[in-house]
Amino acid sequence: MSSRLYGLVQTEWRWLIAIYLFLAGAGGGAHIAGVTADFLGWTQLANIGICLGWPLVLVGCLCLLGDLGNIVNAWRVARKPDTSWIARGTLIISIFMMVGFIHMILWIWPGTMLGADSTARHVVGVIGAVLAFGTMVYTGLLLGDAIPIPFWNTVLLPILFFLSALSTGVMAVILSGVIAGAEEAQLLTLARADILLIAAEALVLAAYLHGSYRIPNSRMSAEQVLKGDAASMFWFGVVGCGLAIPLVIDATGLHGAAAVLASVLGLIGGLCLRYVVLAGGAMYPIAAAGFTFRPVTRPKEPMPAVGKLPPS
Amino acid sequence: MARYGMVIDLKRCYGCYACMLACKVTNHLPPNVFWSRVLKGESGTYPNVVRQALPVLCFHCEDPGCVKVCPTKATYANEDGVVVIDKDVCVGCKYCMMGCPYGARYTVPEWKSYFPEGLPLSELEQFQKRAWEEKSGCGVATKCDFCTDRRKNGKAPACVAACPANARIFGDLDDSGSEVSQLVKTGRGFVLKPEQGTNPKVYYLPPR
Repeated sequence: MSSRLYGLVQTEWRWLIAIYLFLAGAGGGAHIAGVTADFLGWTQLANIGICLGWPLVLVGCLCLLGDLGNIVNAWRVARKPDTSWIARGTLIISIFMMVGFIHMILWIWPGTMLGADSTARHVVGVIGAVLAFGTMVYTGLLLGDAIPIPFWNTVLLPILFFLSALSTGVMAVILSGVIAGAEEAQLLTLARADILLIAAEALVLAAYLHGSYRIPNSRMSAEQVLKGDAASMFWFGVVGCGLAIPLVIDATGLHGAAAVLASVLGLIGGLCLRYVVLAGGAMYPIAAAGFTFRPVTRPKEPMPAVGKLPPS
Repeated sequence: MARYGMVIDLKRCYGCYACMLACKVTNHLPPNVFWSRVLKGESGTYPNVVRQALPVLCFHCEDPGCVKVCPTKATYANEDGVVVIDKDVCVGCKYCMMGCPYGARYTVPEWKSYFPEGLPLSELEQFQKRAWEEKSGCGVATKCDFCTDRRKNGKAPACVAACPANARIFGDLDDSGSEVSQLVKTGRGFVLKPEQGTNPKVYYLPPR
């Protein structure tokens, strides 16, 4: 950790929460992609989207549970949805997973009753898509509600996370579609849609970082992301893997292995984006009476292990 | 009921860290946990530079950011106005640590000794570990509670008692005769990060 941000940058939420935010987004995005594909009559891709959606979110929730310090109290979170975005989000995500699960068991496996009745299927699909939208936006609102951290407390973050979630969800569907051998033309259309999403995500990301850099209180966070500790992950992971390479591959047209590569890299980029945003989450230093106060930096040497102590 | 608050006179504070250590000892804090801390700040340009210490702790805000984000209502202001955590309700999501503008909250997965890993705990450390697990808890959020146990016995919080410069004044803000409310009434005091709208109950008097 750079000493400049010592004591100011948050270190509590790291990979597990990044995976949770990423999977909740990608799962919701895959579900929306599946429902949209169903409206277009692309049954196979619709099936893939619905079957990917809620299990991805479920795995993400397991990561969140793994991060809790006192997991025996986890049930209490669902009791007070009026308190906090964590509580509200838990509710949204739980209902989303239930609807997605019901959608799957009634349509794809083991039941098939929704297959004949397209109206009922679309109704369930739209309900699921609305909840999926809530899930994707919630990941941004969760961080945005942390008022002391100006890097997160912005309206662009939910938009950025929503676009990234939709884009990674579409990539997850393309990836599974290529593996399952879905129709080339449909995958190509999805990839074209993904180009738009990636471009929009890049624009919002640029605006987000530019805005953060211009606001004095979140400038350190933007610097941390652009040229500080998180810079390599940002430039290689988010910009390279997540935006540039998928954009180029998708724009040149879809070819089996290349599409798989683009999707895998795009998914990695989505995860890196969540991690980078978490790693940049720093509160601004206390300023009072003409001074800017910082915690005194601690020396970095770890305590020597037993057995390596110098002989007394 | 009382409404406890504190005034810290920065003109008196010379940054000796006595409050930080007294808190460590009294509350059996493990490494990297500082319920009471001392920050340092510099101002001016060479050769006219001033260095100033700023002791910080949980400010027991009237509108605490940590309470707003807690999903289980494990943290709340009790009847004394002291913001406390119910460790049996806390889920350990660490959201409150993002919601506190002052970084007053800490969580540790387990109580650790200051001595290198692998050494057996001394009798004192075993007591400290037990006391920490009973009072504060592992995996859950912890923070300053204005030394609840000491106040029960009629003593001031440890950081107040330890301050050699008497820079910390602790008392009841509702009692208009108390030294704290007199000092707050002078209007010279300020709170930290007032733009966050948390209305802290710990006030500072300017360093000069």
